[in-house]
Amino acid sequence: MNLKKLIFFLTLFALHFTLYSLKAQRVNGRIHERIEKTDKPLVGVNIYWLGTNLATTTDSTGQFSIARPVKSNKLVVSYIGYKTDTIKMTNQDNLDITMKPEGSLQEVVVRGTSSVIDRLNPIQTEIITTKALAKAACCNLSESFETNASVSVSLSDGVTGAKQIQFLGLGGQYVQTNVENVPTVRGLATTFGLNYIPGTWIQSIDIGKGAGSVINGYESMTGAINVELVKPDSREKLYFNAYVNNFGRGEVNFNVNKKLNDRWATGVLSHASTLQSRIDNNADNFLDLPLYTQYNLVNRWQYKTDKIMAQFGIKALHENRLGGQTNFRENMRGTPQAYGFGNRTNRIEFFSKTAKLYQQKPYKGLGFILNGTAHNSDSYFGFANYDARQRTLYANLIYQSIISNTNHKFTTGLSYLLDNYNETYKDQILKRNESVPGAFFEYTYSHLEKFTLVAGLRADAHNLFGAFVTPRLHARWQPFENTTLRLSAGRGQRTPNALAENYGFLVSGRTVRFFDALRPEVSWNYGASLTQTFHFLEKHWDLILDYYRTDFQNQLVADTDHATPLASHLYFYNLQGKSYSNSFQAELSGLLSKRTEVKLAYRIVDVWQTMGQPVNDVRLMPRMMIPRDRVLFNIGYTLPYDKWKADLTVQWNGQGRINDPNVSLQATLDRQSMPILWSQPYTNINAQVSRAFRKFEVYLGGENLLNFKQPNPIINAQDPFGKYFDAGQVWGPIVGTMVYAGIRVKVKD
Amino acid sequence: MKQVTLIFVLILGVVFGTAANKPSKQKEVKIKTSAQCEMCKERIEKNLSLSKGIVEAVLNLDDKVVTVKYNPKKTDEAKIKQIIIETGYDADNLMCVQSAHDKLPDCCQKNAAPHGH
Repeated sequence: MNLKKLIFFLTLFALHFTLYSLKAQRVNGRIHERIEKTDKPLVGVNIYWLGTNLATTTDSTGQFSIARPVKSNKLVVSYIGYKTDTIKMTNQDNLDITMKPEGSLQEVVVRGTSSVIDRLNPIQTEIITTKALAKAACCNLSESFETNASVSVSLSDGVTGAKQIQFLGLGGQYVQTNVENVPTVRGLATTFGLNYIPGTWIQSIDIGKGAGSVINGYESMTGAINVELVKPDSREKLYFNAYVNNFGRGEVNFNVNKKLNDRWATGVLSHASTLQSRIDNNADNFLDLPLYTQYNLVNRWQYKTDKIMAQFGIKALHENRLGGQTNFRENMRGTPQAYGFGNRTNRIEFFSKTAKLYQQKPYKGLGFILNGTAHNSDSYFGFANYDARQRTLYANLIYQSIISNTNHKFTTGLSYLLDNYNETYKDQILKRNESVPGAFFEYTYSHLEKFTLVAGLRADAHNLFGAFVTPRLHARWQPFENTTLRLSAGRGQRTPNALAENYGFLVSGRTVRFFDALRPEVSWNYGASLTQTFHFLEKHWDLILDYYRTDFQNQLVADTDHATPLASHLYFYNLQGKSYSNSFQAELSGLLSKRTEVKLAYRIVDVWQTMGQPVNDVRLMPRMMIPRDRVLFNIGYTLPYDKWKADLTVQWNGQGRINDPNVSLQATLDRQSMPILWSQPYTNINAQVSRAFRKFEVYLGGENLLNFKQPNPIINAQDPFGKYFDAGQVWGPIVGTMVYAGIRVKVKD
Repeated sequence: MKQVTLIFVLILGVVFGTAANKPSKQKEVKIKTSAQCEMCKERIEKNLSLSKGIVEAVLNLDDKVVTVKYNPKKTDEAKIKQIIIETGYDADNLMCVQSAHDKLPDCCQKNAAPHGH
């Protein structure tokens, strides 16, 4: 906590984005302002391609050079105190731009094609733009990956409505999920955290595959997702969104952004949503969707001058959930009248980012991030209570500069993480206090603009688990203009939160038992990818092939495979043996015609884990709930300025391993080893149509149009207080077709 | 399943309907405007594109001429010019609606000094 005393300044501005701007085919130019008929060069002007992260700044003579990306032809030139310009680039490769001072700042609207692959980032990165986000009108971060092949999202159980990411064949806890470079969906928020970021607040999402950068910590094991929220100086002054679906879910979002003067801007993002209708379409006497109410708010302040950029604000969230049997009411809690589930979450977060800018040395930056979070979550599952508290303090001081020239860049800094957990499940008390100071250094070498090497190393001193180092390495090589190869390797470490990460298994009659003292999970991830751009029928196409392997040295195993005549079990123990995941993905995307975009992707994973050591039934088992194969097809049609938009997504999910306490019990009685059961493959189709008018936009869409429902999602639903009741074996949709409609109203400058 | 069918019909209708009626009976008109910059270009193109009967609007900032493709059954030149002047810009010989013009950001107003490219 002594960090409170430190006063620092920050750069957030996507340190790692500006870092990696090199090029293939380039646009050069100079930027100046006209003072009394003479041109004076402007230093440190931001230049970027609309809808991409490809950016650069002008040097001390006002000159710049920026790579030409595949997917954007609009070059944005922006400079604090000057009017932002957007230039549509055709064939010119030399620009001479005069900028004009202005009183108030303008931000350029991000509009681009919907899926973008950042070809210049040494880390394989997919970017989901505002345009792609609009394809899934509903509702929050968990639905934002609908048209992305790398990330899939599934229900964690049949009662709570919690959703989990799957990425490279592993759970969402192994992906570092950041909001504006601050680790956010972690700890207790792993359970419902994806529902805590409303879609209308999101400006863009970056998905980095494989080991991440050391700058944001050591916890990224399979990848890093970074969500950028709408900024206070956005051109969108007002944004109102209302949404309703056929199950009775209603949602209202309201964003206000205001520039107070040329230095200060403030923004409020707000969200309220609710579902109050009791739906039981599969007649198992359990609600298919929990009733819930959520209130969610962010207020952010931004201060910008030539020398300093500062942001601070507060986020507050309240959510109330109620699920279980259809006749359950809150006052029946703790009684055998009906099985009920409830969760009440209150979360408050303070955040700040401060950056010192060096006008004459645009390659230099000094930034400081400070975040504090308090998260309270009180749940009950039938008679079992689970109350959890988390307090987190996160600080990151980042400095970036060059060694002699911009071919050698480095980023270095200090970090501090304080995590305090206090959890009670039934009569078990789990307390943990983690205090982790750390230091990091990342070096970036660029050679002939075709090769980039990023070598990062961090050292952290963990108060419970000792000191450890985290090496990460990324290389990017562009042997030909249209071909990019990437390699990555790195170590990741995290402290697991057994109950929060396996929340869905708690909706069961299982007896929870911890065999071992908790140890941190440690993994190595290795990856390779190829991005090939080509022209077919005069249209642009991208082919991406990637392979990633994750090897665990230690892992917390959640074992639901065992049941005896006395009980069914949820065992937690440390890995003894092997645990690994192989993931291969092929993705082809391009334009069928000027207005029709298509994407076809196939992903196969092979994920195994040694289980059963503590109960003397050692086997290498396929990891639970992970479908081996997945196919995604997306087609989108757009008229200019989104007058009409239509979008169709087809996903096919293969079979994954599940289990069933009834079968486990039978195996025990028969003195058999654990049987392996599989879910069935299914297809999911989503579609949406939207029409934009001058002042507003309306949309109509449907999800799960084939009306597929997992048969029997809750095992022994007729005996919810019994030992073999289990709502945690969910692999597919529970409710049928969902139809929704909504309106978006935007007021811009 | 009725809902499903409805949505499919809607989507197919939009995709193929719009794609199919594109080429045949379109007309094109070129209108000189008082656009100043990229923001003006976006504002004019957007307001035109989102209006009834207009298929495409492209403004060339070099000569400030906007080329509008439209369906003559649904709109006409007079209506198109009306949209432009209501957005705050001159359209050929028609003067802009002054109140709309005054609401534009400084850089988009007619007396703004040229900048950029």
